Amino acid sequence: MSKKREITISPTTRIEGHGKVTITLDDSGNVSDAYFYATEIRGFDYFLRGMEAERLPFIISRICGVCSTAHVIASVKAIENIFKTEITETAEKLRELLLMGQMISNHSLVFFFLTLPDFWFLQEENPSKRNIFQIMREKPEIGKKAIELRSFGTKILDVIGKREVHIVSVIPGGLINPLKEREQKELLKSAENACEITMEAINLGKELFEKNWPDFRKAGDYRTNYMALTQDEAATFYEGRIHVINSEGRSLSKFDAKDYMMHVEEKRYEWTYAKFAYLKAYGWPKGIVQVGPTARMNVNKRVPTEFADKELKEFKSKFGSPAHATLLFDYARLIDLMYACERAKELLEDENLMRIDTRVKVKPKGGGGIGVVEAPRGTLAHAYKLSSNGRLISMKLIIPTQVNNAAINLNVKDAAKEFIHNGEIKPGLLNRIEMVIRAYDPCIKCATRQANENLMVEIKNSNGELLKTLNT
Amino acid sequence: MKVSIISLTCCAGCVSSFLNAGEALLEVLSEDFDIVYSPTFVDLKEVPEVDLAIVEGGVRTEADEKLIREVRAKSQILVALGICATHGGITSLGNLASVKELLEKEYLFSVSSRLPALEDLMYPICNFVDVDYYIPGCPPMPFLIVHSLKSIVSGKTPNRHQSVVCAECHRKIIPAKIDRLYGIYEKEVNPELCLVSQGFVCLGSLTRDGCGAPCPRANFTCFGCRGPADSLLYRSRDIYSFLIRVISTRTGISEEKVKEELHRNPFIFHTFIFSKFERFKARGRVV
Repeated sequence: MSKKREITISPTTRIEGHGKVTITLDDSGNVSDAYFYATEIRGFDYFLRGMEAERLPFIISRICGVCSTAHVIASVKAIENIFKTEITETAEKLRELLLMGQMISNHSLVFFFLTLPDFWFLQEENPSKRNIFQIMREKPEIGKKAIELRSFGTKILDVIGKREVHIVSVIPGGLINPLKEREQKELLKSAENACEITMEAINLGKELFEKNWPDFRKAGDYRTNYMALTQDEAATFYEGRIHVINSEGRSLSKFDAKDYMMHVEEKRYEWTYAKFAYLKAYGWPKGIVQVGPTARMNVNKRVPTEFADKELKEFKSKFGSPAHATLLFDYARLIDLMYACERAKELLEDENLMRIDTRVKVKPKGGGGIGVVEAPRGTLAHAYKLSSNGRLISMKLIIPTQVNNAAINLNVKDAAKEFIHNGEIKPGLLNRIEMVIRAYDPCIKCATRQANENLMVEIKNSNGELLKTLNT
Repeated sequence: MKVSIISLTCCAGCVSSFLNAGEALLEVLSEDFDIVYSPTFVDLKEVPEVDLAIVEGGVRTEADEKLIREVRAKSQILVALGICATHGGITSLGNLASVKELLEKEYLFSVSSRLPALEDLMYPICNFVDVDYYIPGCPPMPFLIVHSLKSIVSGKTPNRHQSVVCAECHRKIIPAKIDRLYGIYEKEVNPELCLVSQGFVCLGSLTRDGCGAPCPRANFTCFGCRGPADSLLYRSRDIYSFLIRVISTRTGISEEKVKEELHRNPFIFHTFIFSKFERFKARGRVV
């Protein structure tokens, strides 16, 4: 008779940040539990206390070098919310364009560099070959296109944000620098090309996806609620209301983004440095909710650009709405990407984008405020309390990966149960479990920057029994 | 050449920056540059023996320490990429608190034995292993990374930047007479004039060049992400007094008053330089 066993996947690869999976098997070799956990911690929320609001946005961007722009914009919005600053339309448009640039650079990275190898190679393929560099060797033009597309995104960040990673131009009150005509022309030229590459990427993605779908659908389809930023039932990224639907697609609530913290609660488990966020009204675990590409497709009825909307309709007709299979995140991400390219082009064609009124004067004051945007991985919220002299008293951040953390764990367990029987682990199967994690494109960097008030802590012993619950 | 890319505790921005090099990146990849290990891109789980290891991030957990020691033992050349690896970076701000305090503030009263324990401080990697080249920056610019790596791959020493950011900044340094220091959103920036002469606390005068001064060019202050320049690093000069003197000379505000204002706002100065960087070890190796 076999004994209890523990399988560890460490480090989880082709994701951003330090993660680990532990799967425990019972006496007969079947999965009894599975955990995906974060193994790093930095302490941002604590050590930034006392920092003046002016420096917060560009320091807080160091939470994550992959989606730094989304953090900067959420942060600046929170500060403007406290200062009661109304920024100009020009500044709003430029910020939205920056978010599109962020989306393009992130999603092209995730599609080509992180997840494509799973679709491209057979599961039994030698793991040392299963990566973008091997694809580039076999088909150099794919690598070239991947880099070209990503470069369009990073060029937006560089031209408007003035740095590609950790932008500096966005400050409370707007943007420091207006967009010059020469810069706009140059960006618009690349936008055309980016839309074409994205079309090709969608076609490639769909082809590979369809080939693998019978296998993919088994890899976790835990049903949860979904949440996204929305405007008139259409996807939006910079400004909107929050819409929550349940697993049947019924609308549960719609609320102002500024009330986000009243609707979302966090909890911590001692086995991971990343926290879990859920809907307060439905409690734990009923309030488990997902954000990100699939959630955006499920919550919204349409996407406000032509080709992306067409893709959304096709997505909904193929997989239903809401769609649940975890690996659909990879598909939905391509629709996001299409939207981001089309929207970037639209914004760049607007001649008002080059107006020089990018900045208004701010009047610093104390108090609380919140900024919410739709980041590449889902809804991102920064809430701050500032003292009257403009220093940070405390902050609470809810990061998309924290929201998805519960669903990731449940789906990892689901996938582990699907793929591991009687203690037998076939080659390639552990990678399928990692594929489930990869689909979420989790950013452990973001999820482990750390904490705040009003947290419930469950302390469990080594048998998993609850010893006590602390409410702080 | 076999290459590994390692991420310790960091934000992953340095590897992102490397990927932003566009065509120059494709050029590097088409040369003798075979990335065999990188949790971000490649599925290999064990650290292999390599010719070149590129390390982003610093040492915050015991797992980081174990990993960096293993990586050093298995690499011919080791490059520290970015300010977290070279100096400790932003996460070093956590050094203001004890580990116990840090965890308690995070309501982590008990940490599972599954998780790696924290070191007492956030360290740059040179506190544990010998580093062949340092490429500081938050993150270093794509061209800087690619140029340096190209030289290393072809067996040459990368071009070193030994001056300060002011050398790459186009602004005119004209001593001014102003009443006090200003925050960046307090007033409009004159695009021609040195930021310090306008009363903004720009750290360009003590920060290593090589970035192309993107922040001052964008009317934003340099915040020192390339770390101290050679002149300040080797002569062990008191960086703080140096900055006070620079600001006082360029603004006409008395040294006492500058000191007082900087003291009130410790983050201005310490964001990137608060670390346990062993300056003499790095002699001649900072790119």
